[in-house]
Amino acid sequence: MGTTVLDWLDERLGLKDIVAFAKKKTVPDHKYSFWYYWGGISLFFFIVQVVSGILLLMYYQPGPNAYDSVRQITYEVDFGWLIRSAHSWSANLMILALFIHMFSVFFMKAYRRPREFGWWSGLTLLGLTMVFGFSGYLLPMDELAYFATKVGLELPKTLPGVGAVITELVQGGPEIGSTTIQRFFSLHVVILPLLYIPILALHLWLVQKHGNAIPESEAAKPESERRSIPFFPNFLTKDLAMWLIALNVLAIMASMFPWQLGPQADSLAPAPEGIHPEWYFMSQFQALKVLGEVFTGKLAIVGEYLGIGGFTLGGILWALIPFYDHDSKNGRRARNATYIGLAALVGLMVLTIWGYVGVS
Amino acid sequence: MSDKRHDPAEPGKKGVSRREFATKAGVTAVGACYAAAFGYPIFRYLASPARTYAEMAAITEVPIPREKVPGPGSALMFRFGTRPTMLIHHEDGSMVCFDAVCTHLGCTVQFQPEEKRIHCACHGGTYDMNTGKNIAGPPPKPLTPYQVEVTDEQILIKRA
Amino acid sequence: MNYPVWDVPIIGSGWVIGGIAIFHILVSHFAIGGGFYLPMAEAKALREGRDDWMEVIRGHAKFFLVLTLVFGAVTGVAIWFSIGLASPEGTSTLIHNFVFAWAIEWIFFTVEITASIVYYYTWGKIDDKLHIRIGWIYAVSAWLSLVVINGILTFMLTPGGAWLSVAGTGMEADKFWQAWLNPTYFPSAALRTLICIALAGVWALVTASRIDGFKHPELKKGVIRWSALWLLPAFVALPFCFGWYLYMVPESRLALLQLGISNIGAGTFTQVTRTGLVTVITSATIAAVVYFIAWRNPRDFGFGHACAVLFLALAATASTEYGRELLRKPYVIANHMYSNGVRKSQVEGFNQDGYLTNTIWLRAEERARLKQARGSGDESLVVGELMFRGQCMACHTRDGYRPMRQFLAGRDHESIGNILKMLHDHSEDSPYYKFMPPLVGTADEIKGLNDFLYELVKPAPEVVAAAQ
Repeated sequence: MGTTVLDWLDERLGLKDIVAFAKKKTVPDHKYSFWYYWGGISLFFFIVQVVSGILLLMYYQPGPNAYDSVRQITYEVDFGWLIRSAHSWSANLMILALFIHMFSVFFMKAYRRPREFGWWSGLTLLGLTMVFGFSGYLLPMDELAYFATKVGLELPKTLPGVGAVITELVQGGPEIGSTTIQRFFSLHVVILPLLYIPILALHLWLVQKHGNAIPESEAAKPESERRSIPFFPNFLTKDLAMWLIALNVLAIMASMFPWQLGPQADSLAPAPEGIHPEWYFMSQFQALKVLGEVFTGKLAIVGEYLGIGGFTLGGILWALIPFYDHDSKNGRRARNATYIGLAALVGLMVLTIWGYVGVS
Repeated sequence: MSDKRHDPAEPGKKGVSRREFATKAGVTAVGACYAAAFGYPIFRYLASPARTYAEMAAITEVPIPREKVPGPGSALMFRFGTRPTMLIHHEDGSMVCFDAVCTHLGCTVQFQPEEKRIHCACHGGTYDMNTGKNIAGPPPKPLTPYQVEVTDEQILIKRA
Repeated sequence: MNYPVWDVPIIGSGWVIGGIAIFHILVSHFAIGGGFYLPMAEAKALREGRDDWMEVIRGHAKFFLVLTLVFGAVTGVAIWFSIGLASPEGTSTLIHNFVFAWAIEWIFFTVEITASIVYYYTWGKIDDKLHIRIGWIYAVSAWLSLVVINGILTFMLTPGGAWLSVAGTGMEADKFWQAWLNPTYFPSAALRTLICIALAGVWALVTASRIDGFKHPELKKGVIRWSALWLLPAFVALPFCFGWYLYMVPESRLALLQLGISNIGAGTFTQVTRTGLVTVITSATIAAVVYFIAWRNPRDFGFGHACAVLFLALAATASTEYGRELLRKPYVIANHMYSNGVRKSQVEGFNQDGYLTNTIWLRAEERARLKQARGSGDESLVVGELMFRGQCMACHTRDGYRPMRQFLAGRDHESIGNILKMLHDHSEDSPYYKFMPPLVGTADEIKGLNDFLYELVKPAPEVVAAAQ
């Protein structure tokens, strides 16, 4: 009977064509193949985000009841703690996977012609994901969320001229309050998904169109020595195995280290010691802090501009790397691009670790 | 890699081999386990009795008709919105009212007149029967009190 | 150093042992299982005349030698250092009972180390049959070292009636055999042997995954499938052995497990439930990944997959061992010594004459500090801090693992006192009875602890002022 249903569907949807196509499609196989999985792992965590996020929507109430509804989800609703932990943990793991994906793409030089748009759409997705993380972090409205958001919003505030206006627009008022939650909520569940999904679709379509890039060491080999495996079923099985393992990591984190809910945010209470934003904003935060210690008094503003300007410029240059290192013919530029990537990676890691060590 | 012999599309071979059947059954069983592992928590999550806070916030007072008022030395359990609440009529005629949810882990507490205390059976939390203060056991906070207004025909319980 | 009470911030002294021990188990169990794997694989390769297999096995033997001799041995000694620091009283009891067991284990260990070095360095230089025999000498002596240590490990959970009846009389060593062959000895030995065999397969998969599947498809397929088979006994027999193990654990020690099971339906998981679930989930994934990739598509089984399986094996091992440790709560030696080193028989005395005056785990400086504080305003806080160090810190930290500051946050002085009173009374209906030792000491000492804990959590003065 199963076959009859399949035939019926195939006649109308052309399923067999898709399978045939997927069987014909190949994925390069070499010693760096491991890094191909990170895009898929990010996608997996994104799917977990969507599903767990929808489930959380069933109970979450933005506005003045925000804290109470999250408290209810965490402590009263059956398995609510698990859904919430899965959402928070997969958000963090997704950002981690995205960073690994970005750097592996960078070092494989997969941004080169003709994959520039894959690089740019990917960077946009990373940026949007970080905004997702930032807006979602406030929603429980506990003490930590409140102050971390407050600290985070200090960043745009320092922008010359427009800073204060932008911050107030985002906050929906001069202070973080229930209007802010409302705005962050609409950003988190409506605006960002609307932006995200088409760009993700474009990104995936581009990956399919151009195929996987191969690292230079592979490209240097003669055609006959290069290997590939069929996308279906071989690569897909391997990919699914990675998803299963990612699911395990998520399950371990969510059940062994369930996300806590602190006391309700109180704007009158003093900020807890060592408050800082989430880890993926730590490098920027730390850079500003260090510059703030170097430039004091009247020069403080110089330090802030230097920090924000530096990160903005760095981001723009990072995005423009395909124009500098556009093909493998120029060995010097290719080498320089690798050094730039290493510098960025080490810089981000040092600042982040420094931020955490410095805090405690 | 000669997996040809398991190819179901092999012509002239009707049905499936036993080995293939076992594999398929195994895969289906594993799939069913995963479906259950995801489905059950999600079902429980969605089926949880949710208390709507908006609804609760809308209620500011609950009237209790005279005839329902408990005799001296006993207590009445009722719902304030959706929250279990306890009205205690003391021997001396005074009345006090508390939120009846233990501040430790949320079990419903009970009045024990012979022990002269409010007690939570879950982990042995004990509260003072006059003030609602936590006097023994794990509870971190006192029970939230409500205002009690006594009129001729009814008792009015209000948010304090 | 702040011996004898080891103050490890954030993670607590327990996790120093935990971290080292989990890694040690992953390596040491491999050292045993791999001991069987190597001569068996070598014999198979010789029988079938497979020279390509021999190359792989030799590579595996080198990896094995480095991993087990260096990391296995070093972490084993590290466990000694850490348990001696974290639980001197418990370690002392074990040594007093089992010093000969350790001496015997040391002999097997020496034979094991020697045999493994001889095995690797005589590769291809001596007669094949003799070489395989050396491999077997290694395997058997390695396994015998587990057989010995297993008795000491299981003793802590189930010391057995015979030993407990003489505990504290000075005649404990007379019951050496009863204590060593305690109720959970055999199921635990079976469980650990199965885990050894499975881990031999997991680590062999790591080596096999590095074979180039395009150049040598048949070799890779053969080695991977044969190695994957090593996981089979564990997946078939582990559930039964585990049932046997639980059957031998006394009812009273299973209370935590039952509490965990009774709450699963509504999703309020206890720590034991969570660890149990992690074991189940990771084991299921290992089975799925090994079957679908290693067995079905050996060529595609890459190093990344092998590392992932290894990671899952680590998670499964860690959660199982953690769960086993949880079952022992609130004791370090069941029904004899509580996790903070207080013996059950000492409780009465400490309550009457004072904990701080009688405990031997107080340094001279600390005693001097206590004496100095007598009569001053600080006395109670100093008493409290020493009580905290002596009785709480075996399991709790101030801010990190099981943090007091977080657990007691928002409580006032009196409600902390309520909890301490429950811990002190230690009655059977107390919610803490099943997993926390009784709090011992005189009323003054407990008040000191109350003051000290309240100092930790009390709100900052300006907030109090604002609230008034």
